[in-house]
Amino acid sequence: MAARTIKIRAHEVDGQVIVKSVINHPMETGRRKIKKTGKTVPPHYIREVIVSRNRRIVMEAFWGKSISRNPFLAFEIAGRKGDSITISWLDNRGNSDTATAKVR
Amino acid sequence: MKRRTLLKAGLQVALSGAIIPGAALAEYPTKAFLAKETPEAIREAFGTTDLGETDKIEIEAPLIASDANMVPVRIHSGFDNTESISLVVAGNESPFTAVFKLYESQNFVSTRIRMADSSDLLVIVKADGMLHTSTRPIRVGRNSCEA
Repeated sequence: MAARTIKIRAHEVDGQVIVKSVINHPMETGRRKIKKTGKTVPPHYIREVIVSRNRRIVMEAFWGKSISRNPFLAFEIAGRKGDSITISWLDNRGNSDTATAKVR
Repeated sequence: MKRRTLLKAGLQVALSGAIIPGAALAEYPTKAFLAKETPEAIREAFGTTDLGETDKIEIEAPLIASDANMVPVRIHSGFDNTESISLVVAGNESPFTAVFKLYESQNFVSTRIRMADSSDLLVIVKADGMLHTSTRPIRVGRNSCEA
């Protein structure tokens, strides 16, 4: 499994859980050229993100190359303090990572 | 097909313990992401280009983005039963940017996108089987990226 790449902050406000996360990932579009060598960096980007709350999938995101480097993802779902929020990603090279945080 | 199965298995392994085993995952919309033009991207993603203009989608985004590689967008869907929220950047070489499939009651997503040039951001919300859209122009400065 990859090194820890996902930071999650989740807190509850009136039955709504507000989640903010950042995933450490280069998100290469496949169009960037390295000036020194002139070579093009091949595409390397997250394609799928799965979010679950207490082991139930609440959201799936499918991303293309137009999502920024070190992608930020925020969302709000119904939930309570003490819930577990898990975020997992899979990129176009088959790398993946997952992280869980408790709702404060 | 085999590679897709392997990748899915990789994700399942990564998620093991995190999701209910055997839960169905939706398909990655490859053709939508490959489309070079907005109408084609929408047709591949939704099977139709019939979208209803609405003012119930709130798009928060800068009028002028200071960094074209990191344009923050916040989307509020005013529809109950929002099934998915999709982002399309009209001026990008691959306009289809993201789709968020929502499996529980949810109305808000936010992320950061890349824009190759000043263009429209289309947000498409699928709710109760119907497609709704709202558009917002975003201008970018000189620091445009390749997307």
